[in-house]
Amino acid sequence: MTGRGNVETLVLLQPVAVDTNSPDRDGMLIVANGLLVGILVHLDAPEHGETTGWFLEAGFGRLNGVRAPIFDTLEQATRWVRDSFRG
Amino acid sequence: MQNALTRKLESYDELSDADRRALNDLVPRIRQVGARVDLIREGDEPDKVLLILDGFACRYKVLPDGQRQIMAYLVPGDFCDLNVFILDEMDHNIGTISACQVVDIPRKAIDDITTRYPNITRTFLWCALVDGAVLREWLVNMGARSPDQRIAHLFCELHMRLDVVGRVTDDSFEFPFTQSEIAETMGLSSVHVNRTLRELRALGLINLKGRVLTILDLKRLQAFCRFTPNYLHLRNTRWGERRRMTWPGRSEEG
Repeated sequence: MTGRGNVETLVLLQPVAVDTNSPDRDGMLIVANGLLVGILVHLDAPEHGETTGWFLEAGFGRLNGVRAPIFDTLEQATRWVRDSFRG
Repeated sequence: MQNALTRKLESYDELSDADRRALNDLVPRIRQVGARVDLIREGDEPDKVLLILDGFACRYKVLPDGQRQIMAYLVPGDFCDLNVFILDEMDHNIGTISACQVVDIPRKAIDDITTRYPNITRTFLWCALVDGAVLREWLVNMGARSPDQRIAHLFCELHMRLDVVGRVTDDSFEFPFTQSEIAETMGLSSVHVNRTLRELRALGLINLKGRVLTILDLKRLQAFCRFTPNYLHLRNTRWGERRRMTWPGRSEEG
């Protein structure tokens, strides 16, 4: 079970290469309490312009279809995932 | 030069000189509206028909969390629902994308012209049917096409709709939409829109520079997204001669 009551969700990130059909390749699997809940990809393609950072490429379960902001750092992304599982 | 409305209506069916004069009288006062300005908002009482003579506008809704969904693009010659004033209030917003020339057509003017000019009435109804058909096609687009085909399909449609009102030169046309606005239209993230545009460029299908979209190979772009223009119901894309039909309501053999 993920995110129950006030028990803090344990969020782990694991590097993975992702085929996005673009230069954005560096990714992180997001594992929350032992379950894969999403994939972050770092925006590297010049087309993104000023927008750089970590993008929630896909979400599963509670993160399915959720629109996340683009995170400057992985710490911010982790905090956001933990907040999403709170309550 | 004929206004965009007349050109659009003539892309559906023939109009007489009297019809054209009546249509010109329908647009006496043109108002300039800046980019990204609401023309009418959800909850407003619709008391006139809005006609876009130049520029781009859109229909949209905003969800409680602030997310915006664009459901339709209005291009030169398009108007919002002709009988909208039957309803008590608007169920969505209409806002400009680029600076627009807008005409506010009062209800009485619509009543007058449709009473006196059956050809015009028929083409107005044609517009409404095509609006419905475009909405259906957008539903198919959102539900059943991959993101790259979805955006390619939008480009093919815009090319055709803008061409009939004389806004396409050498397969290039004004494209004032931001990537966020395309994302809000297509149900995609801006990141995915960026990547898809990049792919369409890499395939040599389009070029998008300085708010001008150039379709580099129209046939290939249409094949890429399996674009079938039947839903736009334009005269020049029909399979054959138009069915002969008198108006109103009485069809002939043939």
